[in-house]
Amino acid sequence: MSGPETQGNGPLIHRRYVFGLLLRLCVNTAGGVGILFVTLFFALSRPLPGDYAGVFHALRNLSPFLRPILAISVLLYALLACGSTSALCIFILHKVAGPLYRMELLLEQYRSGAPTRTVSFRSSDQIQPLAQAFNQWIGALRRDRQRWLATMMEAERHSLQDEATRRAEMEAALRKITGDMAGYR
Amino acid sequence: MAFAAIIVFGGAIFWKLVDSEFQRIFLQAAIRGHYTFDSAYDIARDLLSWHLAGLFVGVFLAGSVLVLLLVAATRHGIGKAVDSLRAAAGGDLSTPTGTGLIGEFDRFGKNIDDARSETLTSVQEIRSEAAALAAGGISPEDFRLRWGVLKQRIRRIAP
Repeated sequence: MSGPETQGNGPLIHRRYVFGLLLRLCVNTAGGVGILFVTLFFALSRPLPGDYAGVFHALRNLSPFLRPILAISVLLYALLACGSTSALCIFILHKVAGPLYRMELLLEQYRSGAPTRTVSFRSSDQIQPLAQAFNQWIGALRRDRQRWLATMMEAERHSLQDEATRRAEMEAALRKITGDMAGYR
Repeated sequence: MAFAAIIVFGGAIFWKLVDSEFQRIFLQAAIRGHYTFDSAYDIARDLLSWHLAGLFVGVFLAGSVLVLLLVAATRHGIGKAVDSLRAAAGGDLSTPTGTGLIGEFDRFGKNIDDARSETLTSVQEIRSEAAALAAGGISPEDFRLRWGVLKQRIRRIAP
């Protein structure tokens, strides 16, 4: 049920969360069917008239009489079940689509060039490995960036030496950075 | 909408079946002439119980299948996005994410691909500039100026 787990982290969607969803769906359905039962029970449990002819006529006319009651009961069931299932859908969206939306905002922020902070979801949210993978990527980029800048600054330290040595150091640093960047494809 | 469709479809089938069964059983009970019941509920109890149980099982099973399909689609789509971001951490910024056909995940995958693609473009531009500077043949003033610009461009990676 928990499906493929992403390496080194928890599952994308916890088994407990899925069971929770199914349990809520079961309760919703049972509630809707229960209301349908109660409505029909009250409609059908009226005592029949005492005498033989009365019962006969009551039974013969019961079916057309019950038709609108049955239709209204089913309508009531559909409305209540749809309402409670909508609440269930909001619960699903809150735990999955919410984090996804936050990630989209963060990606937009990253693309705009604004400083990007690491992302963390609430502990009850699903798809946690997504935040971890994003942080891992940004972290790797930042480490590389720091290393390239450190290489350049190390080369700049030779500024007090003669021009030729300094230039040679800087060009060596640039070659090192170029080689480092070749890993990006 | 899919959940609502299941509920409405289940309700419609229940209504159709129970309505036709009611017409049959009450007429049969009236014709039989031996009235050993107090209310119509006594006649319809078993029929109603079975149909309500059928409605519950049908709607719950169909809803469960839908929930499991949604979970599987989410796992597939987000799993691809996670794999893509992990590959990006290893330097692969060009392999498409391929999150699948569901609109929300597809859009999210494209956002990730755009972010990776822009990063790759930026890194490649910096690399080209660094290679050009390292090749030599540039005047000291020009070299110093371009060196400073290059540092600024590197600083803008994952700010």
